[in-house]
Amino acid sequence: MRLSNLRYLLKEGAKNIWTNRTMSIASIAVLVSCLLLTGAAILLSMNIDSAMASVEGSNSIKVYCEQGLPTLKSVQVGEEIMKLDNVKSCELVLKDEAVEEMMDSLGDNGTVLESLLGDENFLPDAYRISMEDLSKYDETAASILAIDGVDQIIDYKDVAEKLTDLDNMVSTAGMWIVLLLSLVSLFIISNTIRVAMFSRRLQISIMKSVGATNWFVRLPFVVEGVLIGLISGLLSSLLLNIVYQNALGALAGINIFDPVDIGPLQGSITLLFVLAGMIFGAVGGMISITRYLHKEGSSFSIF
Amino acid sequence: MITFKNVSKVYANGTHALTDINMQIEQGEFVFIVGSSGAGKSTFLKLLMCEEQPTEGEIVINDTVITDLPRRKIPFLRRTMGIVFQDFRLIDSMSVYDNVAFAMHVVGATPQEIRRRVPYMLSLVNLQEKAKCRPKELSGGEQQRVGLARALINNPKLIIADEPTGNVDPALSFEIVDLLSEINRRGTTILMVTHEHGLVKHFHRRIVEIQGGRIVADTGKVETSDEAE
Repeated sequence: MRLSNLRYLLKEGAKNIWTNRTMSIASIAVLVSCLLLTGAAILLSMNIDSAMASVEGSNSIKVYCEQGLPTLKSVQVGEEIMKLDNVKSCELVLKDEAVEEMMDSLGDNGTVLESLLGDENFLPDAYRISMEDLSKYDETAASILAIDGVDQIIDYKDVAEKLTDLDNMVSTAGMWIVLLLSLVSLFIISNTIRVAMFSRRLQISIMKSVGATNWFVRLPFVVEGVLIGLISGLLSSLLLNIVYQNALGALAGINIFDPVDIGPLQGSITLLFVLAGMIFGAVGGMISITRYLHKEGSSFSIF
Repeated sequence: MITFKNVSKVYANGTHALTDINMQIEQGEFVFIVGSSGAGKSTFLKLLMCEEQPTEGEIVINDTVITDLPRRKIPFLRRTMGIVFQDFRLIDSMSVYDNVAFAMHVVGATPQEIRRRVPYMLSLVNLQEKAKCRPKELSGGEQQRVGLARALINNPKLIIADEPTGNVDPALSFEIVDLLSEINRRGTTILMVTHEHGLVKHFHRRIVEIQGGRIVADTGKVETSDEAE
């Protein structure tokens, strides 16, 4: 195929988008939604992984003393814990410090909480403990729990397991959502192209009558699909970035975990979205026109 | 140029559209195909353009047996033909120039070829002044001349005209057939389906009459006054 021909066919494809602009916008909207949801699921999963890594990396557990235990008694609990073989470090977190720490991490919300609670401290004294050997976790935890004055142990292994469960759930749900939306996108795109095709039936029949090959007829419609995909890919990667940055801004005061920075990933995300959009568009366009050409065969029904 | 050997066509619903057609058309002939509605004229043209395949028999165009032609080669066969439609089949959103140029894009012509050939073809049908007009701004006769220019643009050896005068004033009908005759004089074979007996009588050409799917009359090759000269 000559370059001038290719240019002509590309121009025709672009013109199709404008001629059928309502359906083109619908296709772009559906494809953008699909890509955005895919991106959101991936980012959520990445952030859960990051949270898991930070929890697992800390190797620490928290031991809470009984509520209202006198500070002296709390210190004694700490001494008992230090006597245990597997304990590497044991740091006392007094209830007053714990409240302050909490208020700090809550930012403005902490001030509201403080005004609600007044001087009353609802937190017990606690110890932050790290272990020498995590494989002896169960025996060490049991020994700690046996110490008089210890109320409970917050086990970060549980948190990590819960995060893993959440990650799996997000991945599974994300996969199904993406699969479903992909089918919807394909359906909408192929319908858009079909509308374009019906509005150009006369043109197609004339093309066939003067000897156009199936590829010549097909290409402008595939170009239309690819362009829809390209626009959707660019738009969705831009939107995802804006929404994610806003979400990070909103979460900035709460130091739950270190969120993933998508800045360095932006190029890859855009490329991935654009490629995915273009493949979807091309496949959607191809499905319609191939079905049409197969049904109509070489006919141009003139008589 | 065109040979029909024992060609029959039966549609899936059992309709016998054509039965045992045998005929030969030489390069450069002008043939009127006449017959009432449902006589089989449409099927005859569809077989020629590979839109349908015969149930029996063989059709040969320029030494190619088109009844055995693989699907992918059909477009290339059609490039050797120009088709003129009764309802003109022009694209309203395109100018006269683009409607004609469009047929050249399809066969992969370069922009230079298109720029050179389209004005020449429009001048041949006397429409060079209307190149920028839209089809709706033209009269029926002018629209048909655009259709003719489009059919001729790729230099086909054969023009198939399906009632080209069906949608134009009787006076303009003669003008259209005059134009076809002029093209024929330059060596292009013309196959024209028509209902207009006046035209057939006026232009002294070969007439093939189809009735009930059979050829019931064929005047055979007619030596025109031009050819006689």
